[in-house]
Amino acid sequence: MRRIIPLLGFVAALSVPAVAHHAFGGEFDPNRPVLLKGKVTKIEWVNPHAWIHVEVPKAEATTACQFTPNAKCEEWMIEGGTPNTLLRRGITKESLKTGTELVIDGYQARDHSVLRANGRNVTFPDGKKLFLGSSGTGAPLDGADPTEAGRGRGRGGQ
Amino acid sequence: MRICFRLIDNKSAFLNPQSAILVLVLVLALLFPAATFAQAPDLSGTWANTIITPLERPKSLGERAFFTDAEAKDFESVDGTYARWKASRDPDTDAIISTEIIGPYTDTGFRKVGTDRRASLLVDPPDGRLPARSPEAQRRAAQLSLGRRYQPPDNPEDLLPSERCLTWGAGPPIMPLPNNSNIQIVQTKTFVAIFHESMHETRIVPLDGRPHLPRSIRLWLGDPRGHWEGNTLVVDTTNLTDKTTIEGAGADAHVIERFTRVNPNELRYEVTVEDAAFAHPWTAAWTMTRMTEPLFEYACHEGNYSMATTLKGARELDRK
Repeated sequence: MRRIIPLLGFVAALSVPAVAHHAFGGEFDPNRPVLLKGKVTKIEWVNPHAWIHVEVPKAEATTACQFTPNAKCEEWMIEGGTPNTLLRRGITKESLKTGTELVIDGYQARDHSVLRANGRNVTFPDGKKLFLGSSGTGAPLDGADPTEAGRGRGRGGQ
Repeated sequence: MRICFRLIDNKSAFLNPQSAILVLVLVLALLFPAATFAQAPDLSGTWANTIITPLERPKSLGERAFFTDAEAKDFESVDGTYARWKASRDPDTDAIISTEIIGPYTDTGFRKVGTDRRASLLVDPPDGRLPARSPEAQRRAAQLSLGRRYQPPDNPEDLLPSERCLTWGAGPPIMPLPNNSNIQIVQTKTFVAIFHESMHETRIVPLDGRPHLPRSIRLWLGDPRGHWEGNTLVVDTTNLTDKTTIEGAGADAHVIERFTRVNPNELRYEVTVEDAAFAHPWTAAWTMTRMTEPLFEYACHEGNYSMATTLKGARELDRK
């Protein structure tokens, strides 16, 4: 089931605080939200951030897709939280199997030639949502973070 | 061996004094093996160092040293954590003043204050605040703080040790971290190893009484020396560097830590810091709790894609 998330409708163009660890605004561009629909090709369950590789079909891409026949894909890397914390919050490697189609929203790297994004929400084919928890402070307050004050409690993405 | 043949006093039905003592010693040895055989206590295991209590008592408490139950719950809550973070921001400079890192990347919402609800990790000075610091010390603390203002880095060396995957949390002191704040203690008769989940760093503490390294040799985690005082492991550390700082202290800081397993599930940690940066030494103390799960590998360098993305981002900002 396809879900189109009106991302731009959710995102408020808030000024991003400049903060270390490692500054969100230095690495990612809060004014460059991305919405990626693609299939998982690899999960890097590593520290300090887990990384989800997704192939996103794009006509102008040059690489053949692995999971979509007769198509070309861009290979994106989406940043998630530390596996240690994700694990303790109930999110495991198995939560994100290769070949699964995901809809991911996030913010692209500040250098727009780099196909990496700070992952915010991941939506599964069944509509279930997962908050990737890749940032501490500094990420835009766009409502995606369920642990943000007033919006949710504790767990990232359930 | 003559005692064996004279267990029973020849003249009465009771044990003679020597054999009575022997029996007493055997009974005590069975009941209290540690005390009888003078074994060191066992600090081994994985310990969660996730206490959320701040180092310094919040100013709003004034003279009170302990949170009320309601204040503790608010301090631990997600809402309370975010409120503190937002309150610390300076909207004019757009810089984060609070060093507290929060959000789903961290253990926000899962951390607690101590069972006694003390409002500071500091137990001395009694006002729960750090002693007066020199301006130089305050500058040093600010420069190496995670709350410092962002400046686009020219090189990896312009970033903090934590951002470079060099060190974060191993100490000394072993300050609680927002995430990955767990240690494992491995202990032998001659060494104690204190392994930190964050960036998989280990401090190896010799117990054989060898002297500290010469002052000219400096180590990222300092040079530790340990010995037992009763049930407490005392670790004395010197030879630190200026690449890190303990709340503004310099490389010649002297740190004394005390580890006591007060019961099977609790490790009491006490640390005293002495340095010219402070008007006088200060002491903090809190409890770590036993974990039933192992630690998870934190191979930081290998996974540090953020370093490249951050440097590219800085070059992009340069172009603008």
